[in-house]
Amino acid sequence: MALIDQERLHRALNPRTLAVVGDKGPQYNWLTNQKDFTGELYSVQLDENEIPGIEEKGITNYKSLKDIPGDIDLVICAVPRQVAPYVVADAIEKGVGGISMFTSGFAETKEPQGIELQEKLVQMCTDAGMPLVGPNCMGVYDRHLAVKFGNGLEHGDGGDISVISQSGTHGIGITNGAQSAGVKVRRTISIGNSIILNESDYLAYLMNDPETPAIAMYLEGTKDGRRFSNILRQATKKKPVIVWKGGRSTAGARAVNSHTGSLASSQAIWDAMLKQTGAIAVASIEEAVDAIAGLVHTKQPTGRNIALIAMTGGQSVAITDQFESYGFNIPELSDASYARFAEFFTVIGGSYRNPFDAASTIRSEAENLQKILEILADESVIDAGVALEFRSRGFEKPGDLDEILDLLDDYRNKTDHPVILLMPTHGVLSGNTEEAAQVKDRVVARGFAVYPSFQRGAQALGRIVDYHTVGAEA
Amino acid sequence: MNDIIAAARARGRSQLTEVEAKQLLGAGGVPVADTRLATTAEEAVSAADSIGYPVVMKIVSPEIAHKSDIGGVVLGVENATSVSAAFAKITDAVAKAAPNADVDGIAVQAMVPQGTEVIVGGTTDPQFGPVMMFGLGGVFVEILEDVSFRIVPLEQRDAHDLIREIKGFPLLDGARGQEKADVAALEQLVLKVSAVMEDNPDIAELDLNPVFAYTDGAIAVDAHIVLSSEVA
Repeated sequence: MALIDQERLHRALNPRTLAVVGDKGPQYNWLTNQKDFTGELYSVQLDENEIPGIEEKGITNYKSLKDIPGDIDLVICAVPRQVAPYVVADAIEKGVGGISMFTSGFAETKEPQGIELQEKLVQMCTDAGMPLVGPNCMGVYDRHLAVKFGNGLEHGDGGDISVISQSGTHGIGITNGAQSAGVKVRRTISIGNSIILNESDYLAYLMNDPETPAIAMYLEGTKDGRRFSNILRQATKKKPVIVWKGGRSTAGARAVNSHTGSLASSQAIWDAMLKQTGAIAVASIEEAVDAIAGLVHTKQPTGRNIALIAMTGGQSVAITDQFESYGFNIPELSDASYARFAEFFTVIGGSYRNPFDAASTIRSEAENLQKILEILADESVIDAGVALEFRSRGFEKPGDLDEILDLLDDYRNKTDHPVILLMPTHGVLSGNTEEAAQVKDRVVARGFAVYPSFQRGAQALGRIVDYHTVGAEA
Repeated sequence: MNDIIAAARARGRSQLTEVEAKQLLGAGGVPVADTRLATTAEEAVSAADSIGYPVVMKIVSPEIAHKSDIGGVVLGVENATSVSAAFAKITDAVAKAAPNADVDGIAVQAMVPQGTEVIVGGTTDPQFGPVMMFGLGGVFVEILEDVSFRIVPLEQRDAHDLIREIKGFPLLDGARGQEKADVAALEQLVLKVSAVMEDNPDIAELDLNPVFAYTDGAIAVDAHIVLSSEVA
């Protein structure tokens, strides 16, 4: 939407004053979500039955947006749909920065009243140049300012990635999933019906946002495919963009009078567009979060030659199959390296040829792992780092795990190559769920990408290699 | 609007004839088999003399899709006498099979040597607008649907990827002892078609089928262009 002023959008997305309109008890979810908000929070509610509950929370309530003294940067609108135009009119009159509209029941209902109301909002906001997020959305999450749309969203500094989602559920899911993987989500924008601001506007904003180093998107379609693909092409030149396109139904009728037309399914064109623009295409929430973790936590691979360290013979075969199927090479190492391994590596029931079968060499001690990683760091053939089957149990002393993670940290810092950890749910090293979860949390806290299967690790790292090496082979 | 498209629109047509399609593409720098329209036997002989023998002769009518089924195509015409005879033969056959068809004339086309068959296509996506397709000819496209797409306009890198993305690419790249096709020439052809689509938003769909890829060069042998239902 070219009519929206970028400074105004920036003000709306980085609010210092927030007004929640129409929140209801007993939960007062929208107000409760903002309990850590770093700026000034106000409530607007006309209903006398609701006001005491709001004031009990220590939040000042007004009967109208226009009664609030001072500027309002963002309005969170949670009123019934028929009231929405009145809230928008007040917001326009007050000159607020923008509106995030949770209210639903518009064109998505496909019923005349909803469509008519939506058209009215479009007209009002377009005329006023009002940035409107939604409607029918969860709105915005801001890590720094603690603007939130749900429980469990972190408040803090930093930011590794920002999220744009056409679905509120998936926006929350990707954000939570990324947080669980130790990723700091700078912003999440749930875009809903996108009647004023749409996916292209948000992408353009985040592309130029210095606090957003990477972007992840969930989309079911686009309002303007040409504009979106143009902006996406620019965005991927500045920062990585992960796109999960949901929905395989064809959008709109297509005249088909040619061979080409009959083969050009909507999905085929989306897939082609994502490749052409240099986006990282994923097909599920797991793949999205896996790719995010890989992107944020691994150093840049410069090729597809990887060292695979498994703990048993069977696992060394399984891990190799997966990494090969995602385009990795598992190269033989140099004679010099093999000579060094021969000095200490347990070859009875083990192997150091790459893939490694290393349980009997590594056990739970750090010393031999240190030797292995030192040799691999000197090995010039490896350019995609190390993927290590990681034990979920058996760290005898509390310091063991930290010591091992220190070694892996040293390796990636020394080589600038990725390290990913694989904790297969069905592996012989998977402990009881609780112990495994504790180990995983400690691994994640040290900034490692960890995956629950060889397949998911191979797929995620494969995408990171593709992203970093695209154009190199042409 | 392009003159050829404007003329077809003026006649109420929703498709270009093969001759028009090739003129349009040729003007845009796409290598096409030399194809000329003749409305008399004399014109046909003159066209064939200029193109060089042997030639292919085909009926040109927007209403006749399956030209060879009704005797509308004669291959391997070797000299002027044969051109005159073929002209009469095609005219008679079409008069019998499709007496009311709107006929432009007869196309005289250079008979180009067989190459590796590929298809280069274009269509209009409801969300992304003009897009291009690439595939190997015959069974690869029809049965295996081994095709790739890119959004117009294509950059050099997109043409590179479009061609290499199909599973059958090794067949163009010298697999099983075949001669390597001139992939650079195919890339240039793809980029020229992309430019034609970008410059002519009235083109809704386009099939260059087949394109012959040679060890040196590539050429569109047949071309089909469908216009959008609304004037762009």
